[in-house]
Amino acid sequence: MADPNTKFLVVDDFSTMRRIVRNLLKELGYSNVEEAEDGVDGLNKLKAGGFDFVVSDWNMPNMDGLTMLQNIRKDSALASLPVLMVTAEAKKENIIAAAQAGANGYVVKPFTAATLDEKLSKIFEKIG
Amino acid sequence: MRDDNKAVNDEHDEMSADHLDKQGDGKEGEMLHRIGQMTRGLHESLRELGIDKMVERAAQGIPDARDRLNYVATMTEQAADRVLNATDIANPLQDNITSQAAELEARWKDVMKTPALKSEYNEAAEATLVFLKQTTENSNATKAQLMEIMMAQDFQDLTGQVIKKITELAHMIEQELVRTLVDFAPNKPVAAPDNNSLLNGPQIAPEKTENVVSNQAQVDDLLDSLGF
Repeated sequence: MADPNTKFLVVDDFSTMRRIVRNLLKELGYSNVEEAEDGVDGLNKLKAGGFDFVVSDWNMPNMDGLTMLQNIRKDSALASLPVLMVTAEAKKENIIAAAQAGANGYVVKPFTAATLDEKLSKIFEKIG
Repeated sequence: MRDDNKAVNDEHDEMSADHLDKQGDGKEGEMLHRIGQMTRGLHESLRELGIDKMVERAAQGIPDARDRLNYVATMTEQAADRVLNATDIANPLQDNITSQAAELEARWKDVMKTPALKSEYNEAAEATLVFLKQTTENSNATKAQLMEIMMAQDFQDLTGQVIKKITELAHMIEQELVRTLVDFAPNKPVAAPDNNSLLNGPQIAPEKTENVVSNQAQVDDLLDSLGF
């Protein structure tokens, strides 16, 4: 497990899913979690600073998760932020597009607590 | 009635033949002319059969279907929220019991290390220890079930997305129908749907769909094969 103070931003337009991801993160030992309801909200919160990790949905109003990811990678202050996509989008093109845009991981919904744990550990291991 | 129609058709055929002979502009002209006739025929039949009324009713029915789908989305969201609220309340209660049982267990073990206490006392203490152990085990098992209840609510996000998509589709069809009613031009070209969008939401039947993954293992395999 990484630093328990790692600050997460959970971006999803469905409040149910935000709560589930927040609870799962808490179970995994990370209780420093904030939420955003779409890409615009997410990007604003990230720009305000202090976040170490982003868990984002793809299909959201105003700004989708891929566009937010591309904006994160373009912003020199945020470019190195790890981003895990957690989405119902399951086309191969989606997964390839996310990887090319610089996503650190891709979890397809519906997912299990074990999958989230595994992907987080893998990302923390890589960024060390 | 049938004879009348036949007469009309024959007349049309003659007319178009005449027309073509005069214009002499070949197959394309003939095709356009026929499409024009078919359109007028369709327009008239629609009105005669009262299909314009049916289209009108369909256009009126869709907002109702949309409201119903919205209702389903709202109700499932409320249900998911209620369950999540309940697990939020029950989780810390269970955590509390677990940690208190562990604390008591340790205290009793300490006390029992001290010699020269009555055997009855020891027996009671042993029974309490067994009970405390059971409490911890049951609390952990309950907590696992609470997690399961929480994870089961992920349907709300997925069904919500599907319902939203259908609602949008219904809205689009409704607008299209209304527009059709307004200008009544059935041969107007309709824009082809965009199938290459990256925003498709949950796959309802991934096994039946090309180019779609159906589980996390396939996502991981694809990313591995690409070297990510």
